[in-house]
Amino acid sequence: METIRDLIPPPHIQGIKHFVDYALVDEILRSKNFRQGSHQESQPFFGDSLLTIDHDVHFERRRLQAPLFRKEALEYYEHKELLPLIDKALEECKENRDETGIVRTDLCALVRTMLARISAVTTGIDDVDTPERTDAFRTYIEQLGTGATVEWSTEDHSEVISRILKIREGFVQEFYGPSVERRKKLIEQFRNGDLSEDELPRDLLTLMYLHWNEEWDEELPLREATLYLVASSQTTTHAVPHMMIHLHEWFEEHPEDFEKRFDRDFLKQAGHEAIRLHLPSPALLRIALEDVTLSNGTTIKKDERVACLFTPANRDKTVFGDNARSFNPYRETPNVKPWGFAFGGGEHTCIGRTLVTGLSARTDNDEGTDGTLVNIAAALYKAGIEIDPLDLPTYTELSHHDAYGRFPILLTNL
Amino acid sequence: MASKVFNLRIDREICQGTGYCVRISPELFELEDSLHAKVLNDAPPAEFEEKILEAATLCPTRAITY
Ligand code: HEM
Ligand code: SF4
Repeated sequence: METIRDLIPPPHIQGIKHFVDYALVDEILRSKNFRQGSHQESQPFFGDSLLTIDHDVHFERRRLQAPLFRKEALEYYEHKELLPLIDKALEECKENRDETGIVRTDLCALVRTMLARISAVTTGIDDVDTPERTDAFRTYIEQLGTGATVEWSTEDHSEVISRILKIREGFVQEFYGPSVERRKKLIEQFRNGDLSEDELPRDLLTLMYLHWNEEWDEELPLREATLYLVASSQTTTHAVPHMMIHLHEWFEEHPEDFEKRFDRDFLKQAGHEAIRLHLPSPALLRIALEDVTLSNGTTIKKDERVACLFTPANRDKTVFGDNARSFNPYRETPNVKPWGFAFGGGEHTCIGRTLVTGLSARTDNDEGTDGTLVNIAAALYKAGIEIDPLDLPTYTELSHHDAYGRFPILLTNL
Repeated sequence: MASKVFNLRIDREICQGTGYCVRISPELFELEDSLHAKVLNDAPPAEFEEKILEAATLCPTRAITY
């Protein structure tokens, strides 16, 4: 099975300058002479959210949100929220047990369920609990994701926007509104001295209402929450199947490593390789704030939009070695982060990265958590995951994403 | 009570040069070039504890140790 494909630039980035070398992508992402270039048309969904603002306001917003990613907060999410949610989703799979005692399910759907619930916790959306509510919530996130990427849609853009805005009303009524109301009440109790700060939920919405800024419009928390939900769930949902298929192939070729399937350091490196090779979108876009000449002499005009193709950059042989295009959990990348640009770079570097990779001494000067990828993979191995040899995974045909759409698995030890 | 002793450092290899740390505390950090920040005082007094913690958490690559 072909598990590593070349990126074919989708229509929406044709006609603008492309950068594929690691060094140039690095230079652009770090440069203060560019601003965010994605989500220009999707203002109703992502407008003024962390991803779409730059420089001073961006810094202040990031500073406000940073406590969500303190070491103690990361430890809390991992132990008190993530691990029970992984177990719960696996427990629900038991309903699909066949007469031979084996559980059959789809990895994409399973991980989507896990991630919908985990992203609800970090964002601050309550009651994403039963399979039915989780399904409804997940569908809302997917629709909001469509709205957030409307500029790449092949449909009429204004029609997409009004359709998804209508759908968002349902999301607000069923999930967002009640969650915000509850948080506002808790914050009131805290202000009256009836609750301590420790008793408040640790999530984005609580943080925003607790530190309300008079310059924000009423709907900003909704758009920020949309960003968190879309940015955290789809990305990780796509990453896990890639990680599992690469590990499956690796163990076939290196049977002596099979015992490492519970070795958390090994799984960490496997996760890094999977996200290095498979990026969450085709390109990171930036707009020049002034005329810029890059170190290789390329000139970019003020207001010109450029595309950093981080798939080829993350397979750059000069950085990751001659076998850069292949999966190798023993790869050593002494001078760069092992995931390359998987989490972007510069000011807009993914704020949720440590939730995904955990903290490690090598890249974070700290340790203490393993992150979603390792914890999900370890739980799947414990449940006896096997790829169905008669029904191999297939890629999604619904988008330009490098992602699986179907991934039948057996859980032989659940 | 003995005050906390810091050993403030930035790992150059993983610093992205965002300048976030400099904005939090220009007394402790400085942008060396557009790509890296450096520490100005590696053993700051205890009153800087909050700022150090904030900079370390905010740093997108967690390049700051103390
Ligand atoms: C495998 C998982 C993930 C991948 C590959 C990933 C990737 C990325 C990338 C590439 C960017 C930068 C976009 C740009 O520069 O235009 C980004 C930004 C962001 N990500 Fe993630 N992400 C992941 C998980 C998460 C999680 C779990 C969260 C939850 C908090 C999250 C929240 C965000 C936010 C809020 C931003 C905007 C940051 C800013 O603009 O300052 N991501 N992510
Ligand atoms: S905040 Fe971190 S990445 Fe940014 S300049 Fe300071 S040390 Fe470097």
